[in-house]
Amino acid sequence: MTQKITIEPVTRIEGHAKVTIHMKDDGSVEHAYLHINEFRGFEKFCEGRPYFEMPFITPRICGICPVSHHLAAAKAADDLQGSPAPRPANLLRELMHMGQVIQSHGMHFFELSGPDLLLGFDADPAVRNVIGVAHTAPEIALKAVGLRRFGQEIIRTLGGRRIHPNFAVAGGVNKALQASERDAILAGVDSALEAAQLGISIMKDWAGRNAEDINKFAVLKSGYMSIVNADDSLNLYDGDIRLVDREGKQLEKFAGQHYLDYIAEHVENWSYLKFPYYKKMGFPEGVYRVGPLGRMNAVDRVSTPVAGEEHKRFKTLNNGHPVEQTLYFHYARMIEVVYCIERVRELLDDPDILSTDILNTRKDYKGEGIGILEAPRGTLIHHYKADETGKLTSVNLIVATGHNNWAMSEAVDSVAKTYIIGGEVREGMLNRVEAAVRAHDPCLSCSTHAVGQMPIQIEVISPEGEVVQTISRD
Amino acid sequence: MNTLFIGYGNPDRQDDGVAWHVLSGIAKNLGLDVSSSWEEPLPSAPKADFRFELQLTPEMAGDLTAYDRVCFVDAHTGKIPENVQMVDVTPEYQTSPFTHHLTPEMLLSMCSSLYNKAPEAILISVRGYEFGFETKLSPFTASLVSEAVERARGWFESIEANHRFLKMSLVV
Repeated sequence: MTQKITIEPVTRIEGHAKVTIHMKDDGSVEHAYLHINEFRGFEKFCEGRPYFEMPFITPRICGICPVSHHLAAAKAADDLQGSPAPRPANLLRELMHMGQVIQSHGMHFFELSGPDLLLGFDADPAVRNVIGVAHTAPEIALKAVGLRRFGQEIIRTLGGRRIHPNFAVAGGVNKALQASERDAILAGVDSALEAAQLGISIMKDWAGRNAEDINKFAVLKSGYMSIVNADDSLNLYDGDIRLVDREGKQLEKFAGQHYLDYIAEHVENWSYLKFPYYKKMGFPEGVYRVGPLGRMNAVDRVSTPVAGEEHKRFKTLNNGHPVEQTLYFHYARMIEVVYCIERVRELLDDPDILSTDILNTRKDYKGEGIGILEAPRGTLIHHYKADETGKLTSVNLIVATGHNNWAMSEAVDSVAKTYIIGGEVREGMLNRVEAAVRAHDPCLSCSTHAVGQMPIQIEVISPEGEVVQTISRD
Repeated sequence: MNTLFIGYGNPDRQDDGVAWHVLSGIAKNLGLDVSSSWEEPLPSAPKADFRFELQLTPEMAGDLTAYDRVCFVDAHTGKIPENVQMVDVTPEYQTSPFTHHLTPEMLLSMCSSLYNKAPEAILISVRGYEFGFETKLSPFTASLVSEAVERARGWFESIEANHRFLKMSLVV
C-alpha cells in the first residue's frame, strides 16, 4: 500500500511550509514535495499607497530581513522618481546592508544550522537546537551572539533601531554617519572577523567528517545567479545581474531593470510560491539557484582579502566547476559573512562615508522603478508602477526564497529518496529532509509568534486518506 | 531591585502585538509619558525599564542578566484556559519548533548557559483572536489589556514591597 508522509511545519525556517513524501508500495519514495502554504498578498496590500512609503511598508514583510526590503524599496523609489542617490548615501546604504547580511547569516549559521553541524543530524531533537549549542559549546555561542550583535548595531546606528529602520528614502538616506559612530563600528570589526572565521573552521571541520552526507545530500545541477561588479566579482548591494549555467559559463549579464526579459515564473498547483527560471531555457531546464551558494558559483572572485582567498578554496571543491552540493550553502554563507565584515571596514575607511551629501532632492519622475539587491537569501527584486500622483498601481516583489523554490523542493526529494529505504522513517532522516530546506535559509513570510501555536506534526497518510502514523514535537 | 518589562510580538498583525499595548498601559499607570507609536522607545521608571521587540532573540540574553526580575509579555492562543495568564518562568531546555522564535524559558536558559546567571521571571500573556494585517487589536483582546496591566502592576508592587521589607529587616 502506498502512503504519504507529511512533515508540517518544517522546523527552524520562517513562515509556514509543509513537506509531503509520497511512498511507493515497496516502501521507497515516489516523490517528495515542499509546499509553501502561506499566501502573503503583500503586493495587493501595497497598491494605492504612495511609492515613497514603500521603504517603510515593505520591511513589515519580515522581522528577520527587513533591511533588505527597506533598501530594495528605496532603490526602486529612486528609480521611479528619477533621483539617483548620491555616492555617500549609497555607501551608507551598503554599510547598513552589510550589517543585515552579517546578522542574518550569523544567526542562520550558528543558531539554525549550527545545531546540525555542531551536534549532528542524529542528535536528540531535544538538544539539537540553539540552546543545545549554548550548553555544548558556550564559547562558540557567545561569539555567535557577538557577531549577530555587531550586525544589529550597524543597523541600529544608521537606522535608529535594529528592526524596521528609518533610514533610506527615495533619493538617498535621512541621516549622515558621525565620526564617533564610525569609530564605534570599526572597533568591533576584528572580533566579528574572528567569529566569522571560526564559523568557517567549524564548517570545514564538519565537512571533513561528513563528506558522505555532503555528497549524497541534495547534489543538484542548476544555473546560478548573482549581482556582480563590472569585473564579475561579488557585489551584494548594486551592479548587473549575472546568470551562469550548470558548468559555470556565463549565460547572461544584464541590468536589473531588464529582469523581465530574462526571468519568468512557473506555477505549480501544489505551492503558493512560484518557480522562477531563465526564460530562454524554459522550465525546468532554466532553473537556477541564488543566495550564498548561487553567488559563490556565479561570481569569478571576491574582492576582499580574507574572503577572496576563501572563495578561491571554495572554487577548488569541484575543480573550478560550480559547487553543486546543497550543504555547501553553509560554507558559502560564512565566506559572505567574512566578505561583509571586510567590506564594512572598507566602507568606513572611505572618505565619503562621513559626507552630508546624502539626499538627491531633484526629481525626473518616471512613474516606474525597479530596485534590486542581493538579500541574505538571494536576489531580491522590487518593481513598482505609479500613476501621475505617485499612487502605486502595480507592485511586483520577487523574493530571494522564490528563486530557490525549485532547488528546495528538489533537495527535499533527493534527500527523501536517499534516506528513506524500506519505508522506515526515523527522526534523523526527518531532520535531514528539513535540513535540505534549511540550507537555503528560506524566509517564507513574516510570522506571528503567539504562545501556544504550531507544534510540529508529521502525518503518514494512506491513499485512502487514513492517518496511519502521527509524530509530533511540541 | 531592577525590573525589566519586555513585550514582544508583531503589532502589524493585530493581536500578536498586544504586548505593546500592555507595556504602554503599565508605563502610563506608573505616570510615564508614552508615545503612541510602538516604534518609539518606551520610557523608564525608577527601578523599571520597558522594552518592546518583534521577537525574542539570542543576543537579548546578555541584556537580561543586568536585571533582577523580568516580566515577559506576549499574546497567546490555543489551549491556555485563561484569557490573561500569569505564570512563573524558569530556565528550561526546550525543543524549539521555530528557532527564530525563542521562548522566555529558552532565553533564560541561554542566560544561565552563557552568563551563569538568570533573572527571576514571569510571563503575562493575553489571548489573541485576530492575526490579520492590521494594527488595531480585536475588540475582545483589547478588552483584556487593562486586566493584564493591573496584574503586571500588582506583581511589580508586591516584589518592590517585599524588597523594601527585606531591606528594613536587614537594617533592624
